[in-house]
Amino acid sequence: MSITYLEAIREAQAHALRDDPRVFIYGQDVGVFGGAFKATKNLAKEFPGRVLDAPISEDAIMGLAIGAAIEGMRPIIEMQFADFSTVGFNQIVNQAATLFWRTTVPCPITVRLPMGGTSGGGPFHSQCMETIYAHYPGLIVLTPATVEDAYSMLLEAVAIDDPVIFCEHKFLYYHLKAEKLPSEALPVGKARIAREGRDMTIVAYSAMVHEALEAAKELSPEGWEVEVVDLRSVKPLDTDTVMASVARTGRLLCVGEAWPWGGVTAEVIARVTSEGFGLLDVPPQRLNAKDTPVPYHPNLWTAHRPTAHAIADAARKLLRL
Amino acid sequence: MPQVPIIMPQLGESIAEANIINFLVKAGDTVEAGQDLLEVETNKASMTVSSPCRGRIEKFTVELNKSYAVGAVLGQIEVAKEEAARLGLEISAPARTGDAGHVSKPDANGGRSRVRPTVRGLPVPANAAGASYLSPRLKARMTELGLSAADLAGVAGSGAAGRVTIEDFEKFIANLEKQKVSQASPMRVAVADAMRRSWTRPLATVGLPAQLDALLAHRKASNPKPGPALYALRALAIALSENSAPAGRLVGNKIVHPSTIDVGVAVEAEDGVLVPVIRAADKKPLKELVPYYNELIELARARKLPPEATGGSIATVTNYGTFGLVWATPIPLPEQTLVLGMGAGRRMPHWDEAKGQFVPIMEGYLTLSFDHRVLDGGAAGRLLQRIVALMNKPEKL
Amino acid sequence: MLQTVLDTKPMNSLASARDAHLTAYRFMLLARVLDDRFAALWRAGRIHGGVFLSRGQEALSAAIGVSLKKGDVFAPLIRDAAGRLAFGESVLDAARTYLGSALGPMRGRDGNVHRGKPREGYLPMISHLGAMISVVNGILLARRFKNIPGTVGVASIGDGATSTGAFHEALNQAAIEKLPLVLVVADNQYAYSTPTSRQFACKDLTDKAVGYGVEAHSVDGTDLTACLKVVGNAIARAREGHGPQLVVATLLRLCGHGEHDDANYIDLKIKKSPVGRDCLKVAGDFLLRQKWADAASLKTLRDEVLHEVEEAVAQAQREPAPDPFVEEWRAISSRHLSETHEEV
Repeated sequence: MSITYLEAIREAQAHALRDDPRVFIYGQDVGVFGGAFKATKNLAKEFPGRVLDAPISEDAIMGLAIGAAIEGMRPIIEMQFADFSTVGFNQIVNQAATLFWRTTVPCPITVRLPMGGTSGGGPFHSQCMETIYAHYPGLIVLTPATVEDAYSMLLEAVAIDDPVIFCEHKFLYYHLKAEKLPSEALPVGKARIAREGRDMTIVAYSAMVHEALEAAKELSPEGWEVEVVDLRSVKPLDTDTVMASVARTGRLLCVGEAWPWGGVTAEVIARVTSEGFGLLDVPPQRLNAKDTPVPYHPNLWTAHRPTAHAIADAARKLLRL
Repeated sequence: MPQVPIIMPQLGESIAEANIINFLVKAGDTVEAGQDLLEVETNKASMTVSSPCRGRIEKFTVELNKSYAVGAVLGQIEVAKEEAARLGLEISAPARTGDAGHVSKPDANGGRSRVRPTVRGLPVPANAAGASYLSPRLKARMTELGLSAADLAGVAGSGAAGRVTIEDFEKFIANLEKQKVSQASPMRVAVADAMRRSWTRPLATVGLPAQLDALLAHRKASNPKPGPALYALRALAIALSENSAPAGRLVGNKIVHPSTIDVGVAVEAEDGVLVPVIRAADKKPLKELVPYYNELIELARARKLPPEATGGSIATVTNYGTFGLVWATPIPLPEQTLVLGMGAGRRMPHWDEAKGQFVPIMEGYLTLSFDHRVLDGGAAGRLLQRIVALMNKPEKL
Repeated sequence: MLQTVLDTKPMNSLASARDAHLTAYRFMLLARVLDDRFAALWRAGRIHGGVFLSRGQEALSAAIGVSLKKGDVFAPLIRDAAGRLAFGESVLDAARTYLGSALGPMRGRDGNVHRGKPREGYLPMISHLGAMISVVNGILLARRFKNIPGTVGVASIGDGATSTGAFHEALNQAAIEKLPLVLVVADNQYAYSTPTSRQFACKDLTDKAVGYGVEAHSVDGTDLTACLKVVGNAIARAREGHGPQLVVATLLRLCGHGEHDDANYIDLKIKKSPVGRDCLKVAGDFLLRQKWADAASLKTLRDEVLHEVEEAVAQAQREPAPDPFVEEWRAISSRHLSETHEEV
């Protein structure tokens, strides 16, 4: 029996709907159709009246979610693609993210964003949005990299009283499988050591964790043991775990699929250099996608984002310094 | 009666100032809260400024057709204490920058702030490549262990361009710990640091043999007996008073000339060297200096030198002859250009031209070690010649 | 003392019409006096930031407030001073928000008209026009989920907001879900300095209703009687399950967009036309004609209102301002997820 990353997300939603009458799902095509990626397959049938089709109105979808949350519901919003969440951006960052701070009333919404690149996705079906949402105070931003985390972190997201931007990686939906669902998990806010090592720390999140693990495999026969840290949540970001890892290894490479300007990789390096300067034996480095919109053609797409090979190359440069 | 200021309000987000175009009331008038007091004009519109409370206009402090900044005080209103309290108004408050007047000021006692700055003030060193590059981690560890770059001289670096990586360093430290290790005294550490710093300069040494018979005779006939180094100290001081340039210090592209001829003498003291100083050594004759000099030597040996007797010398004399050495190349103090060394006297044959044969004399070498950036061999040689000449006439020192 | 309106029934008896008028008039007057006071305080440098008055729109707004019941939802906008008070806001809370008291509902974190109490169905607006409508939709949908019948939600907007995508999406959404939403558009002829001729091309904003599949109502916003009748009726229709109601009121903004704006762009012709009537005066004259009040009772009322405003404004000024050194600078409610990286 194996379960995919996508199925884990569906299971988590079913679990939430079952256990908490305040939960409902709202998004385009989520009802009978089961969602563009089938993340809500059969849920409309199993939970009648609680999995609702929304019009193509991301602003109103988000506004509605916020209103329902004020009234005590726990809406799960499925954005069809992370790239479209920008149409609802105003409601997310100016209404949902500011509600608690302005009024002491929390806003327990969960916004599921299918993000990240798949071959042929092109500029508007491939974006990584964690950076701009993490930038705004008042939001929690999660980036599960494993089937287990997709499940447990989504459950936790629904339980959190604050707006959660849940970044699911589309490529992992069907490519990643696990034996079974977890019964326990690290809490949101804690990073995971995906692989132990002593020579260098690679910090990654979402799909890049798998690329980093591949890169570590490539470097092992060369005598280098690389430690891979899976951030799991981008905000809050587990600085302590990252710092402890760099304390062990003295070398830091940060990898992200998002664009280079600002972003998770910049944030991690900023924190490590300002608070852990004396831990670094070599300058910290980062690897991101190229600073262009995500290209459509597979040749271009594979060159646009970090791959295991590119990560290993970058790592070697640091290891040899 | 307490007074409350009339403040120029913030008349629009980007407005910085406004022009007074009309006074609607005058000093002495009684006004109600909210009553318009003056008309002002910004580049967007004309507005009125109104009274924050009921009271009596005490005075206006502004002029017609002049411009005043947002937050500027425009006048004062005399107000009843109860009225001021009722409206939470601050009495005779200084001008604020156009806010509602409520913002509490940071506690004067300080220490209340829970707001901490993002940057914690870590310095960013310039990027250096190669063997001399010390990574932040390496520096942090070295600081922790009290090491300096000189201590890494014995560590082979496996990193790029031969740099010492943190792994190289930790291996080195681990190995050290396997050997017999004892604690270096603070004196040792201080001398090590001074010598390391001095050595960063190009140092050279010149030497001349000096005939010591006259000096030894003079010394034998004196009471109390002057230490041999005192003769050299006086000779050096006199020579420098004639030409102080050789004792100048090079700082960048400037030569810093000494202002007084203060000369030190090196004294071995328990695990290190101390350098007591004779101030204005060119001014007093040797006979007069003897008691003070002897006292300094005693104090130095006991490590009880008073602060005024140390530091600030422009050159040093060291009598390494007391160790039986005939020749040495002492290292000048890091803040000095010169050190004059004296070797042990020996019975040596000296060619007497007049007699046409070798005659026995007491001879000892004088060496002058110097910062070659400041002097060349010629100048050093001339200085040393002059010292030797002076020491041949000990009665004149 | 301030009255909270409970269970107002629609206009079908003379007695209740009198009460509705007197109640509404009191809120209109309170709003006007409070607005004037805020404007004066701003000109005295005692209010920081913007001041946005409702002059000219009190009748429409008060009509909304008195027609809603406790338990209903109201998302007021910029010029709803009267409606907020009628819906239950205290004069003190309005004063606190404007004067920056730490004890106000927004605790200094937002100011002037950006205030509310979400749990009491009184939504604090964000500056992005049109954004509040779908939030009202969300609350109404949630009431449906929770099997709480009979709620009505009013979202108040201006002519400018009808141009936003948020307006379109939200009205459409409400119509699809057949929510008991009443969208009240105060067409005050200007959006800041932009006249309606530059805001929309349809002849009448009510023309839009058929596009969304919702019912529409027009009303003379300067006439309190008409406002009470039409707004009351629209709210009743929504409550009875007829789906979203679009109410378009025609009036004129009798002040600048904010107090920093002297509104010299307003067409004098419009100012002098019936649209430019001051609804407070119109309502006062009506009360006198109906003999529901006389000059003396109006004066007494005015004095009471002045006193009430003065007390509230004085108290708010005496209260402490927020202290940045004791504020908890945390934007999420989950303390354990708050970033400890920045120790503030």
